Amino acid sequence: MVTRRRMLAGLAATSLLPSAGWSSVGTPDYLSAARAPDGTYLLAGLTTTGEITFTIPLPARGHAATAHPERAEAVAFARRPGTFALVMDCRDGAVLNTLTAPAGRHFYGHGAFSADGSTLFTSENDFEAGEGVIGLWDVTQNYTRIGEFSSGGVGPHDLKLMPDGQTLVVANGGIETHPDMGRSKLNIPVMAPNLSYVSLAGEVLERVELTASLHKNSIRHLAVRSDGLVAFAMQWQGNKSATQPLLGLHQRGTETKLLTAPPKAQQQLQGYAGSVALSNDGGLVAITSPRGNVLHVFDTETGQPSAILSAKDVCGIGPTSDGFVFTTGTGIIGTLQSNTAQHPLQWDNHLIAITPQA
Amino acid sequence: MRLLALTASLLLSQPAWALDSAALVDTAIDQHILPGFTALTEATGTLKNTAAEDCASDSAALRAAYHQGFDAWMAVSHLRFGPTEEEERAFSLAFWPDTKGFTPKALSKLITSEDPAALDEEAFAEVSIAAHGFFALEFLLYDERIQTLGSDAYRCTLIQAVINDIDRNATAILAEWQNGYADLMRTTSENGPYTTELAAVAELFKALDTGLQFNADARLGRPLGTFDKPRPLRAEARRSERSLQNITVSLNALEQLAALLAAQPPAPAKNLTAAFSLALGHATELESDPTFAGVSDIQGRLRVEILQQYIGNIRDIVLQELGPALDVTAGFNALDGD
Repeated sequence: MVTRRRMLAGLAATSLLPSAGWSSVGTPDYLSAARAPDGTYLLAGLTTTGEITFTIPLPARGHAATAHPERAEAVAFARRPGTFALVMDCRDGAVLNTLTAPAGRHFYGHGAFSADGSTLFTSENDFEAGEGVIGLWDVTQNYTRIGEFSSGGVGPHDLKLMPDGQTLVVANGGIETHPDMGRSKLNIPVMAPNLSYVSLAGEVLERVELTASLHKNSIRHLAVRSDGLVAFAMQWQGNKSATQPLLGLHQRGTETKLLTAPPKAQQQLQGYAGSVALSNDGGLVAITSPRGNVLHVFDTETGQPSAILSAKDVCGIGPTSDGFVFTTGTGIIGTLQSNTAQHPLQWDNHLIAITPQA
Repeated sequence: MRLLALTASLLLSQPAWALDSAALVDTAIDQHILPGFTALTEATGTLKNTAAEDCASDSAALRAAYHQGFDAWMAVSHLRFGPTEEEERAFSLAFWPDTKGFTPKALSKLITSEDPAALDEEAFAEVSIAAHGFFALEFLLYDERIQTLGSDAYRCTLIQAVINDIDRNATAILAEWQNGYADLMRTTSENGPYTTELAAVAELFKALDTGLQFNADARLGRPLGTFDKPRPLRAEARRSERSLQNITVSLNALEQLAALLAAQPPAPAKNLTAAFSLALGHATELESDPTFAGVSDIQGRLRVEILQQYIGNIRDIVLQELGPALDVTAGFNALDGD
């Protein structure tokens, strides 16, 4: 039962405080983890023009972050197989909460908030069973762990809230790992990745698998358009001389479309797409390959490649109104037109847009 | 199609020394890869002939041939690119770790149903990958339950089928190296798997690093588990008491590859030799515990952890000294993405 005192306390924590919205931190457009020249790690707020609006130290290498839909609050995840995530006040860098994965679980490095920001969903590994789970955290109760359900596969990585606010889309990468064995992959010959649409109550509503010959194509990262089109980026675990597609588009109830560049350009990706983004106008989709030092852009309607950009160690990518902004391990922030800034930092895997995508 | 050709990369750094990449690749192929896979086919050929004469699971001759074959595989098991990755050959030879127990399940199913696939080479190639290779053979030769399941006659047929399939895969890998892949690695081309000589060197470098990592993280990390929860039953090939042997053979082979890659100054040849000696020397001290059963007690655990640490030290030299000397260092995101 919610007592009157507790309810008041809850109200105070959520709505009665002076504005703690994103505008209070110099309106960053993106979040990215990075490594500083002295070997320490941090989380930064970035604008589309490459300015840093804030930095917050992290205790270890980060992976992705997820931004609260309203409050200037972000959850930064340790890279897998990390067991903690930090909830940070992006106004002053204060650590508001530390999420610790329950016994027998570790985080994969991604999370998503519910539309009202009251629940956080995290992708996790039930490593003794070798099965993926989605952890549920009650934001209104100081990020209390309130439950979990199956992710619909093995090795869930990225997850996003669908525009209906009622469904999660989960990239089950298919790769089994165990923290006792570092980052060793344990099940490559039998891996079976999928894209799962799961209700917020944990019911698998639709599961998308690629053809058997692509069972080693680990579905890892996601971007979602306002009409529910899901772009997914993959990492090929088979023979490296192959030129498998690394980008797919899926809309619920329809067939998957796989997008590839001409063979020579496709081969340059080295079977590895690190991040994916959809432009805010929805017309373009892009993947990055830090191994191939290249970024591929496709037209979402035709599925045809529209631009190829070389950038050393490029990995993070996020949407702008008509294109993309990318980050690299050499510190560069750039757009399809030009490099806009370079900082003495190594930008890590992901650039997370704070404002909801159109 | 509009192709932008904008380059955000910094100037490619050129090392101050001139590395003869082609020579490195040639010696690795001629002195390490081709001899290794040739030895594997010789051992699997012997294994096949032995099983044709005597397929009893307790046959001393068959078990000896099994160990020789497994040794020969361990000496090349780090060369995971090109011919080993076609048609799942490497996984067919060695399905491990088997976290969900697929191998005993698949074998039990074949034996209890007397699946006729064991009678036909092509049909057997299509059965579950977990029922193939040295780890399936280990179950058939050393696991008490599988050894006595079903009929002797069917198990004999199945042992021969597994072994014939091992030999078929080993032979196919060698043939592909000899009839094309070695040339693709030596002679780089726009359309081949290696567009530059440095890419071929990088492949060998990665094989060395991944091989070391697998020994430390999987072969030792799996039985070590955690201090509170050691997992001795997860040791690789413990049924035939090969857990330590697999690491020793693998380290010897990796030492040879490391020496070949470090042949040109300023590569850290001496540091690598010393680090391998330390690890291999310590491995001999573990001979009283060939299956790492000791991970459950403090003394035994410490010995295994020290071996893991020594392998980690080799890896540090490989990544921090050999990589830069070979000019194959990868970027922050490229090296270890997610």
